[in-house]
Order: sequence, then C-alpha cells, then structure tokens
Amino acid sequence: MNPLLEIRNLSFAYEESAALVFERLNVAVQEGEYILVKGPSGSGKSTLLRLICRLNKPQGGSILFQGNDISSIAPAKLRSAVSYVAQIPQMIDASVEENLLLPFSFTINAGRTIPGTEELKEMLHRFYLADVTPSQSAMKLSIGQKQRLAIMRALLQEPLLLLLDEPTSALDQESAEMVFSIMERLNTEDRKTLITVTHIDYKPETVRPLTYTLAHRSLTLSS
Amino acid sequence: MNGIVTISTGQLLLALVFILIAQGSSFIYHLGLNRDITIGTIRTFSQLFLMGYVLTFILKTTNPFLVLSVFMVMVVSAMFIIKGRVKEKQIPYIIPTFLTMLVSYLATALFVSGLVIGITPWWEPRYFIPAGGMVIGNSMSALAISLERLFRDMRQQKELVEMKLSLGANYREASLDIFRNAVTAGMIPSINAMMGVGLVFIPGMMSGQILAGTDPLIAIRYQIVVMLMLVGSTAVSSVVVMLIVRRRCFGSGEEVLLSPR
Repeated sequence: MNPLLEIRNLSFAYEESAALVFERLNVAVQEGEYILVKGPSGSGKSTLLRLICRLNKPQGGSILFQGNDISSIAPAKLRSAVSYVAQIPQMIDASVEENLLLPFSFTINAGRTIPGTEELKEMLHRFYLADVTPSQSAMKLSIGQKQRLAIMRALLQEPLLLLLDEPTSALDQESAEMVFSIMERLNTEDRKTLITVTHIDYKPETVRPLTYTLAHRSLTLSS
Repeated sequence: MNGIVTISTGQLLLALVFILIAQGSSFIYHLGLNRDITIGTIRTFSQLFLMGYVLTFILKTTNPFLVLSVFMVMVVSAMFIIKGRVKEKQIPYIIPTFLTMLVSYLATALFVSGLVIGITPWWEPRYFIPAGGMVIGNSMSALAISLERLFRDMRQQKELVEMKLSLGANYREASLDIFRNAVTAGMIPSINAMMGVGLVFIPGMMSGQILAGTDPLIAIRYQIVVMLMLVGSTAVSSVVVMLIVRRRCFGSGEEVLLSPR
C-alpha cells in the first residue's frame, strides 16, 4: 500500500543562488501516524510543511500524496486534503461562525454539507471553546482561542493530513496544553494523520509519536 | 465674445508671478519644494511648447500612421510614468499593462471619435489625439493607484491569503478582496469626478473650449462624452490589468510570490 505522504530527495533554498536550507530529505508517512518534527529555528521545519501543501516550491526532489506527485494535483484540491495551520492563526474580520464556515465558501468544497450552528457549538466545546459563541467576533478572541479555532476550521473540511506549524509557540502554558490535548485526541480518537512542527520539548501523554529532528540540512528519526 | 484673445510672450512670462509666490512660500516655510517647482515649471514650458509644435504639425497631417504613432508615444510615456510610480521589481507587470493600455485606449478613442462624435476619417487628429490623451492620462493614474494597491495588499496580507489557500481556496478566491479593493481604489477618482463635475469644478477640456469661443451647450456635450469615456476606459483597463497581474503574483502551485517588506 502506498504511504499517505512520501518525500523523496527533497531540497530547498530560499533563492536560486542561496545555500540549501536542507537537502535530499526522505521520509514516508503512513495513514494514522502522529509525526513530530523538531529542530532548531532556521532549520527549515516550517518550510517543510509549506512545501507539502505547495505554499513554497522545492529546489529539487518530489513529494507524493497518495502516490501522486503533488505538482500534478490541482493546488486547491491538494490543500483541501492536506490542511496547513500557520504558526500565527489568521481570522477574517467576521464572526466565529463565519470564520469556521469560510472553507465552505470556496468552490472546492461546494458539494460538502455545511455544519449547523448546534454542531459547531458541540465542536467548540470539544476544542475547549465552550465560552465562545458562534455569533461573536473572531477578532476579539485571545491568540490561544484563535489557534484552537484555526485548527477546528481546518478540520471542518475533513482533511486526510493535518499540518500544524508551531501551534503552541505563541501561547501560554494553559492554552498550549489544550492544543496538545486536542492534537492527541485527533490522532487517537479520530485517527487523523498529523505532522506537527515544534521547537519545544513536548512529550505526548496518550500517543507515541514518530519524532524526527531536522538539523544540519538533514532529517533523522530520533524515536 | 468674438474670436480668441491670444496671450503674448510678455503676458505668458507675467504668469510666472504665480511660480514666484509658490517659490516664496516654499522658501519662507522651508517646504523643500523649490527644486521641484523649478523643474516642474521648466518642464511645463518645454513639454507644452514641444506638444504645441507637434500638434500644429500633426493636426495638418493626412497620414493615419503618423497619428497612430503619436498615440503610441503617448501610451509608452504613460507606461514609463506608471513604472516610475509603482515600485515593484519582483512581479513582471509592465508588458501586460502596456498591451492592455494600448488595446483598451485605442478601442475607446476609436469608439468616441468614430461613433459617438462620428468623425470621418476616424483618426482625424483634431479629435482622436485629444480624446486619446484624456483617456491615457486619466487611466494612467488609475492604473498606477490600482497596481500600487494590489502589490501593497498582496505583501501585507500574505498570511491571510495563505490561510484561505490552505483552506482550499483557489488563488482567485483567496485574493478576491485584494483584487476588488485595487480596482475600486483606481476607479474612485473618476467616479468622484462625475459627482463633482459642473458643481465643484469646470473640467479642463470644457474650460478650454469655452475660452476658445465654443458655445457652452456644445462644450458640455463633449464633456459628458469625455466623462463617460474616462470611467469606461478606466474600468476596463483596471479590471483587465488587475486580472493579469494578480495571476502573476502567484506561482504555478498558486503560492504567493510576494513577501511583506
């Protein structure tokens, strides 16, 4: 069976003439795996995630999703199946509900059933956002709440792979723990495949992740 | 009122009093504008005199290619002015902008001189060149504003655009607001001009015609055609240029190519 994601000889540099940030990375991700990518800042961890969803272009090598080269998959189609959540959560200047339903306004999700307000409320509860109402402004939430909302929004279009870029770096301890707990539940209960980039020393309690270290331009399996 | 009162060279130089006042203000209040006012004055004199001589020659011509060449020079000059105002090095916008300007302005000027005013031949320089000049001048400013806005917003809102892309938006959906705002920003001055015309200001072309002895009731008809022509040509050129240049702000994987400065 094909791995869900396969990275082959992947190299990246910010500019054509610049030095490579990393080179010839190889990794395969199976469905249901929980991957942690660690490494010092500047080692290209975020870039690796951005390359997987085509927000950046590699210098060399290829990435296969479900056996197909991602450069042959329409970008919108790829990104609805491989959802990336950025380090700093971005919200449109509208209500929580409008933010959550944003993916359903795009052509690629036209056929999907739009979740109702009750369903959203239930989900907000699961994401430790019980005190947030769908009608309130998303701009007024704390950064920790926005981060959980951003992850929830990415999940609403039911991606096969979730890419989380330093999801707790801007959060306080309490919010960070909530996000970690959500990530673990997504993997254990919902069988979601996750790749999370982090530079902090986080040891999951309920799952055993595959931990890779990206340093000195190469990726190594550390546990 | 019969005929035109001509302005002698002495009278023309007398008008330099206004420049002396402006220079004086800049000098007293340290506005730092003295150099620009001087250059601007010299350019006003030299460019308009040059244009006057060229027009005197062109208006007599019976060669449509010569008229079209003048039109071409005007579009090329407008392109250089836009290039000077829009400081964008990364995205190649010049060729699509130039071609859109050339085609849309030519179509507008043709429509106005050939159909609305109904001149034969359609390239009759007395109508075609001023109509072209007004379209080019007006749309040039609109395009510069729109392009600047598009590039600025693309850079500033990169993360927001990427958030939408990450949620399955195609590049058009992800940058819809930026596209709309860019086109609107360019269009607003022409629309505002329609609101204020006749009340707040008498447009240059109409003033010129009236000063030259034309019946104001004829002059307003020309002015109405001009106002409508400017709004139409600005809309078409802005929309087309923004559609093309916006696509160029994204790579083959629909990734944002610009970064915040």
